[in-house]
Amino acid sequence: MPQPPDFTTTLDVQLVASSQAGDMIAFEELVARHRDKIYARAFTMMRNEEDAIDLSQEAWVKAWQRLKQFQGDSSFATWMTRIVINLCLDQLRRQKRTRAESIEQLDEELGGVERQMPIVASNPTEGLERAELRKRIDKAMIQLSYEHRTVLILHEFEEMEYKQIAKVMNCSIGTVMSRLFYARRRLASLLQSLKKEQKS
Amino acid sequence: MNTELKLQALLDGELDARERREVEGLLAQDVQSAVLMQELKWMKAAVAGNEAEVKLPETREFYWSKIERSIETAEKQAAAAPAGRAWWLKLLYPATGLAAMVAVMFVVSGGRTTDGADTESVPEDVNAISFRSEAEAMSVVYVADENGTFNPVGQETKNEPEADK
Repeated sequence: MPQPPDFTTTLDVQLVASSQAGDMIAFEELVARHRDKIYARAFTMMRNEEDAIDLSQEAWVKAWQRLKQFQGDSSFATWMTRIVINLCLDQLRRQKRTRAESIEQLDEELGGVERQMPIVASNPTEGLERAELRKRIDKAMIQLSYEHRTVLILHEFEEMEYKQIAKVMNCSIGTVMSRLFYARRRLASLLQSLKKEQKS
Repeated sequence: MNTELKLQALLDGELDARERREVEGLLAQDVQSAVLMQELKWMKAAVAGNEAEVKLPETREFYWSKIERSIETAEKQAAAAPAGRAWWLKLLYPATGLAAMVAVMFVVSGGRTTDGADTESVPEDVNAISFRSEAEAMSVVYVADENGTFNPVGQETKNEPEADK
């Protein structure tokens, strides 16, 4: 029985080159290396395990079909992440069209609500253990609309600039800025509430 | 851009040198802006690098199997697509030829003229001649008898000209 190839010392660029030449075993190794990251990005955007699995798998299929287009301008992981982000955004837009908007979402879209929020005067994350901080941030982010959550994810986790986010989300830079501002202010307010809950 | 968004842009490094100086000047003078800036800084620091750790809840083999199946299905469909096109083309070419032939025959047979000119057609297989005059709105069909002599067998006249009445 033939032994499976050992890819432990093989770089991503070498695996990508082999995959571009049609080597599916090399591609499977790329999937194995980056599947958690790609799934995690889909999950933080969709907040649903089933959707995240399906969309991340769809992203890998698309990646295989478009491998020839990958020129190595960014890392393979970054390229893959862009694919899954686009798929998630398409899905979220479709879902949004079919569900009724909540009053809060309408307020968020209209803008101005963030200016009525009182400024948080003490750091709501001060003294928290990292695990607890992550848990609270995750809990607070669930309460944001997908537009605000996505802007925050793309800016803070993917480290994208305003204009890159605007391009991905198909909106103006001004919209990106106001969504990011709202998301941060709302997050501060939610984390403050969580801190108060903890104390009481 | 309003002041609040400028503060945020300063925090995110999205301002040019002139705008940066302008916003920093504002921060030094306006306490409310400074407090808001502090809140934004806390949030940026709290979120960056603190994404919840999420692990794929499926084994490597199970997760890959669906991807592999999808790739194979897509490739089979892509391979079948050119054959499908060839099947259409096989039908398309004779159909186009037939349509062209019918169109030529239709025009030649005097079924339609567009410029009012008189038309005469001689279909060889039926041994008949048709004549149509658009000017006089008249069609005449001559059919050859056993001697090969053409005789008019049908004549249709519409809107007979005033001079003929």
